[in-house]
Amino acid sequence: MIGNMRRLTYILTAVCLFPLLGVGILRADEVQFRAQAPAQVIVGRPFQLAYVVNQRAKDIRPPEFKDFDYIAGPYTSSSSSTSFVNGRRTSSFQMTYTYTLMAQKEGTFTIPPATVTISGEQYTSNGVKITVLPEDQPQQSNSGSGQAAQRSGSQQSAQSAQSGPEQGNIFMRTIVSKTKVYEQEAISLSYKVYVAGVDLKQFTNNTTLPDFTSFLQQKIDLQDIQLELENYNGRNYQTATIYSTLLYPQKSGDIQIEPASFEAVLLVPNQARSRSIFDDFFNSYTTATRTLRAPGATIHVAPLPAGKPASYAGGVGKFTMDSKISATDVKANEAITLTLTIRGAGNMKLLKTPGVEWPEGFEQYDPKVTNNFKTSTGGMSGTRTIEYLAIPRAAGEYTLPAVEFGYFDTEKGQYQVLRTPEYTLHIARGAGDQAAAGSQPSAVSYVNKEDIRELGSDIRYISAANFVPAEENEVPVVVFGSWQMYLLYGCPLVVALLLFVLFRKRIRENADIIGTRKRQANSVARKRLKKAKTLMAEQKKEPFFEEIERASLQYLSDRLAIPTADLNKDSITSTLRSKAIDESLIERTNRVLSDAAFARYAPAMGIQPEQLYEQTESLINDLEDCKL
Amino acid sequence: MKKLMTIYIALLMACMSIAQSPSELWNRANQAYSEGRYEDAATDYAAIIQEAPIITRAYSPVYYNLGNARFKQGELSQAILAYERCLRLKPTDKNAKYNLQFAQSRIIDNIADTQVFFLRQWLTTFRNMLPLGVWMWSSIILFSLMLICLLLFAFSRSIGVRKAGFYVSIVCLVCSVICFSNAASLQHRDTARAEAIITRGIVNAKASPDRSGTELFTLHEGTKVTIHEVLGGYANIEVGNYNGWIPVNTLERI
Repeated sequence: MIGNMRRLTYILTAVCLFPLLGVGILRADEVQFRAQAPAQVIVGRPFQLAYVVNQRAKDIRPPEFKDFDYIAGPYTSSSSSTSFVNGRRTSSFQMTYTYTLMAQKEGTFTIPPATVTISGEQYTSNGVKITVLPEDQPQQSNSGSGQAAQRSGSQQSAQSAQSGPEQGNIFMRTIVSKTKVYEQEAISLSYKVYVAGVDLKQFTNNTTLPDFTSFLQQKIDLQDIQLELENYNGRNYQTATIYSTLLYPQKSGDIQIEPASFEAVLLVPNQARSRSIFDDFFNSYTTATRTLRAPGATIHVAPLPAGKPASYAGGVGKFTMDSKISATDVKANEAITLTLTIRGAGNMKLLKTPGVEWPEGFEQYDPKVTNNFKTSTGGMSGTRTIEYLAIPRAAGEYTLPAVEFGYFDTEKGQYQVLRTPEYTLHIARGAGDQAAAGSQPSAVSYVNKEDIRELGSDIRYISAANFVPAEENEVPVVVFGSWQMYLLYGCPLVVALLLFVLFRKRIRENADIIGTRKRQANSVARKRLKKAKTLMAEQKKEPFFEEIERASLQYLSDRLAIPTADLNKDSITSTLRSKAIDESLIERTNRVLSDAAFARYAPAMGIQPEQLYEQTESLINDLEDCKL
Repeated sequence: MKKLMTIYIALLMACMSIAQSPSELWNRANQAYSEGRYEDAATDYAAIIQEAPIITRAYSPVYYNLGNARFKQGELSQAILAYERCLRLKPTDKNAKYNLQFAQSRIIDNIADTQVFFLRQWLTTFRNMLPLGVWMWSSIILFSLMLICLLLFAFSRSIGVRKAGFYVSIVCLVCSVICFSNAASLQHRDTARAEAIITRGIVNAKASPDRSGTELFTLHEGTKVTIHEVLGGYANIEVGNYNGWIPVNTLERI
């Protein structure tokens, strides 16, 4: 039961896999049906047209050969091969139908496709384009000039060394695509060898090429040298391009390209015949080297006209530009890529990368440039892709200005400027911003402090406030130096003087109170003391004590500028204290005053007049010495 | 006929532009400036100043804007002249100071005032800080204040008031004198108009006021000079510690 199940599974798997296998086999055996013929043929010479098919076919139906004479065919041949490589079997089969045709007239003709039937189905081949060259014209007998022409290295006519069509001929031509170009416009230069009637075996390495100064040179790789028939100056040659290069002129003016020389190895039949019988069967050859000269050329290079646009990037040719931006709505700290694709033909390699003016606050990186160029004899073409990467560091709305790319259009002969559209970029707050930094404070809360960067300098903008011109009444009345001004000084002065004059009594009083009385205090006190002394001598005790008290009080009042009404012991003490008088002196002052009062109003206390007089005198003396 | 018509229209427009009020001219000039038509703006600003009956402090923004327009036109000396005149009217105008400095940084001559005594320079700077009117009024007010203080000193009974009155009156008098001298100095500067700006691109100063004089030194557009005297079409000027005669028409007084 289980075994049956397993078998069933195998079968099912095989059934499932079979269609896949079948498809694989079918694809491998895809029908290929091709027509093969030489690209160039000569009038009156038969050539072969072959139809190759990779499966067994029958019933080939050739097209109508209306421009060619049908000579013979079809000859059918078939071949098959089988090979095992690493256990894999590959087999190939080929069937060829060959027709022999002959061209009737010169020109370019197309042989229409043929049809063939393979296992009931019809297949169509490709058409073939054939250029028919004229027959060799019999050479005019101007062998001498031919020699000279070859030696002179003229670009157009370089003819055989030996005359006559049957004679061998080999020479080089220099083929320049353009002789009048603009600076930086590419020209292609190739050296082509023309061979007729001789066997060219190979070229040696002994080649002298011009050193293409004042050109930027780019060699074109010739994968395999293709032989072509070409009718040149009435004779058919086998030709091959053996060296090809692109040249970009780097300066204007007439630039001379030096002639080049190549060394060819020819097979020459042995002249000295031996008598051997085999010689007729095996022609013996010797090799001979021959130097072939390719003529020089003159290129007229026109300078690029004036008026280069500011965005001129050095391009000469024909270009188009596309731009693509990765995103216009991103968060801060997320990258934005602007991709420019410059497509075209011209001096692609010399293009400068156009500058992109990212707005302030965008960190920009060096652009990444990818080139995809193709070099052919037609010039260099392809695409250059430039990726600009920038990272916005701050949120906001920005405008990325249009990127300009200026080049010189060689077709129109004038400068062209290509522009990308302007992009508006919306930058939202991103992960690295402060607002979002709460979760990982140590990692992202670091903020780069920057000084204000000065980007440029200019004058400050005009004042745009409302301008109110001065009215007549706003014109100042007082002008410096005018009488009005002096009046303004004079009026207060006159008023002040009047006040001084009117109240001069008060001034004098004020002056007395303070100045004079202070100055005269001592002398007034002395006068009173003198009077007291006489009273003491007359033994008039009552008036004596009165005089002493008055003298001391008067002196203190004058000296301390205390009005008489305010004069008492306390005011005197506080005034003296405020003037930082020695405490003992204050005590003495108080004692003198109280003694005088006691002596006057309480004579029973028995105060001696002499003692009081001395005390008062010494006190006044001491106070006079004090700075009050 | 068509020609006559256009002439008529042109005349009409000219009349209209003359008839425009200073405020209208001002707005039109500002509009022109913001649109980058600096020449039109400068013409209008100049017209406002030309038609003003008397130039007062109110006109300082006009000079400032005129200076900006001239600067944008590339007329450095005219711009400096306008800024200087603006600062004459309003010495505290920060924008005018900044732009003047900016314009002066573009001129060719680098005159180092090394020979001027520093105190004098300070005094000049101090003097230029305020306009003439302010100095004059300050002087008058301080003088009156001094008189009031003197009256207080004379009539007050209180010793403190008397003392304060006495000292304050002295301070007021000194300040009043300083203000007066500053005002007088500014008045002298404004009436003498001794300061001038070189308006010609390059001018050679000669040793004597005639064509045959020995050439002493070269001055360039925008340099500020002081005129000492004018004699027969030549002005005796001083700049830094150089002194020479240059034609009057190469200068414009501030």
